[in-house]
Amino acid sequence: MQLETQPISPQADSGRLWKRFKKQKMLHLFVGLGMVFLVIFSYTPMFGILMAFKDYSISSGIKGIFTSDWVGLKYFDEFVHDYQFGKIVRNTLVLSFLKVIFAFPAPILLAIMLNEVKNMAFKRFVQTVSYLPHFISWVVVVGVSYAFLSADVGVVNKALMSLGFIREPLNILTGPNYFWGLAVGSAIWKEMGWWTIIFLAAITGINPALYEAAEIDGAGRLARIRHITLPGMKGTIVVVLVLTIGSILGGGLVGSNFEQAYLFGNSINNPTSEIVQTYAFKVGLRDGRFSYAAAIDLIQSVISVVLIFSSNFIAKRMSGSSLF
Amino acid sequence: MKTIRSYKMLAAVLAAIMMISLLSACGNGGGNGNQGSKSDNAAQGDNAGNKDNTGAAGDSGNGQVKELSLFIDAPWYPVKEWKGPVADKITEKTGVKLKVTVATDDKQLPLMIASGDLPDLVFTYSNVGRLSDSKLSYPWNELIGKYAPDFKIDKTRIAIHTMDDGNFYTVRNSFATQEEMKQNKYSIGSDGNPGIAVREDIMKELGNPPINSLDDFVKVLGMVKKKYPDMVPLIMDKDWLEQYFLQQFGTEVLLDGWYEEDGKVDYSIRQPKMLEFFKFMNSLYRNGYILAENFALANDQIDDQYATNGKAFAHSHTVATADTDNIKIKSSGSGTFTFKMLPSALSKDAKVVSTGLGFAGTFITKKNKDPETSIKFLQYLASDEGKKLTMFGVEGEHWTWNNEGHPDLKYNPSDADFVNGNGIKWWYLYNDGVTEGMLSYVPGLQKTQALMETKAITVYKPQIGLIQTQPDSEEKTIKTKIDEMVKNEKVKIYLAESEEEAVANYNSMVKNAENMGLQKLVDWANATYEKKKDLFK
Repeated sequence: MQLETQPISPQADSGRLWKRFKKQKMLHLFVGLGMVFLVIFSYTPMFGILMAFKDYSISSGIKGIFTSDWVGLKYFDEFVHDYQFGKIVRNTLVLSFLKVIFAFPAPILLAIMLNEVKNMAFKRFVQTVSYLPHFISWVVVVGVSYAFLSADVGVVNKALMSLGFIREPLNILTGPNYFWGLAVGSAIWKEMGWWTIIFLAAITGINPALYEAAEIDGAGRLARIRHITLPGMKGTIVVVLVLTIGSILGGGLVGSNFEQAYLFGNSINNPTSEIVQTYAFKVGLRDGRFSYAAAIDLIQSVISVVLIFSSNFIAKRMSGSSLF
Repeated sequence: MKTIRSYKMLAAVLAAIMMISLLSACGNGGGNGNQGSKSDNAAQGDNAGNKDNTGAAGDSGNGQVKELSLFIDAPWYPVKEWKGPVADKITEKTGVKLKVTVATDDKQLPLMIASGDLPDLVFTYSNVGRLSDSKLSYPWNELIGKYAPDFKIDKTRIAIHTMDDGNFYTVRNSFATQEEMKQNKYSIGSDGNPGIAVREDIMKELGNPPINSLDDFVKVLGMVKKKYPDMVPLIMDKDWLEQYFLQQFGTEVLLDGWYEEDGKVDYSIRQPKMLEFFKFMNSLYRNGYILAENFALANDQIDDQYATNGKAFAHSHTVATADTDNIKIKSSGSGTFTFKMLPSALSKDAKVVSTGLGFAGTFITKKNKDPETSIKFLQYLASDEGKKLTMFGVEGEHWTWNNEGHPDLKYNPSDADFVNGNGIKWWYLYNDGVTEGMLSYVPGLQKTQALMETKAITVYKPQIGLIQTQPDSEEKTIKTKIDEMVKNEKVKIYLAESEEEAVANYNSMVKNAENMGLQKLVDWANATYEKKKDLFK
């Protein structure tokens, strides 16, 4: 099946358009399915946003979304004046930006390093081992982390103490000072290998002749990485970066802000682990205050939309490649 | 050419199938909200109509077993299936079988309410207020009047559960008035009372120092820490962190409740004795007697493991702690040591105020296919025979009645495996505190002793329990927010690095609560209290 790529000329009559459509009907069918999916599962539920501006009670069911009274920005106001507002917003932003700063470059570095490994067996081994954690769910990761990181029974603490690095066990799982490090570290461990696949694919696409030529010209290994590998990956990096920033409040590339804050979070590290999503989840579902939770999440969505548009704009300006 | 065409055909057919399945899935999902409920209602109408013709449905007489769905809003619920001798006997007596679903977390029921996807019956303690709503549940008074006029419930219980619309939608189990408790001396209360168990062998090695006050207990913890540095002096169940100590301080209230003094009601954290309690908890932490991790335990098994694996000296949980731990240690063969309970009252201030209105109640939802059978089923459970069957087991097989006024049990009620395996107690969808309190009366058990001590220092003030916020009300929002704030902030007080810091954190917690509208809430509570307190006079 061949794609018709030439633009429609202004004179194109409807007959030609129909002909083109008929020729591409299979493709349209597939696209149509996707569109139906999006409309039903992504666009239709958006009417629920109405809740954020209404006095909605869950006992009134779906109908209640339309029939309950308007209250304007009452719930937005309530969230902004919550005693934890500053803390929650700070935690969300810090956690998200830390993940972009540390988790975004990690798979790129790993991909470049793997590319330099000449022993294929070793390369395969590292790749497999590093992407396997991607398939373990966060619930399991958090459960297992107890055995490793707990202050009382954790292997890591025991090892550090017996080696004499520390005298008191570190409260890695419970201390508020450790949470951000724990979250970023575990996210990198879990997702780095997975994203490396994309970057390795980008590197594979680089013409080997370039490397050979550079070698003849006397370029060392670092120079080859800097002048050939990195520029060759630029397009991929920019696209992934834009996607990352678009979903930055969810944790970006490695995602899972919610899972981590919810599962690693407890009443001791709460001062650093409570984020907007967990807070909205708790007040929304546990307390049944859907309107309030909808307002909180809406604020976050607006910030996300602004971020994705601005990052796309900047990427377009700086590198010429962008998402849209 | 032919193959290409057949490929195209195949692709088109596949695409069509995908499209149809996608749409039909949505149709089902979307329909649940409106259409589904309509047809359900219609079916309900039909059923009810049939019932009227065929006569009494709740009777086992017609030999047909009806299945009702039950959702239990308690993720920790120990029985998850309608089976075992007790369940079988109830089915035999009522002709009703339950299809049970136990909640996966505390958010499942609110979600089910929101989506309108409710089962026939719901058993809940945390959503009693929300389900007491004519849009979601049938009022019991209506069903009783219509289908079970001889189902008698006493006035106090009805008054407690009557909502502003004049209906009552459930009656909680585990409730008994002060009078009822007085009249039944063998009813000594349920497992849901706090207790601390200590290792008997270690006490012996320490020379059995007397533990007659909280100070004595703290001293012993110090001795344990010194002599057994690898041991955790005190491990606490994640849901039983404070209760025992609050009881000793005589605060009359747990951390999210109301207490009454000179006819005025106030919120727990403003109780003058509270600061002393917080300082005490903080000192336990600063002295290394409790783990910081204890306040972040993810489940309620970890503390049991510490205790039964011999890694902890004292175990704070319920009055049944020593008995259950000892059984577990024995059955798992993890050691030869035993636990014994500390006295329930360790100080002269010790006091328990029972403000309880009961534990959990059963709701007959508007989606119920057969309200008549449902109310008759509950009527049976509420009968003397039904209460004893659910609470003690099958008569003759599990217990015989002692004319002194209590059952002689043929099993140890602290043996959780036996009790849960046979479905004893947990089908108490309707029961009362008197019957439940007798299950604990087993002469010779440590729990029996602990509960009798607790009963002796218990004061009943159920009128305070009537201060209940209505769902979706402003007071409810303020109360939930303050309770949640206390839950987060209290840990900062417990884990403060110095006493000054603890006191500062306490003051900031109280101030936070005041900023969040505590005074308004307290005023509302007092007004409600004034209105309702005469109910028990």
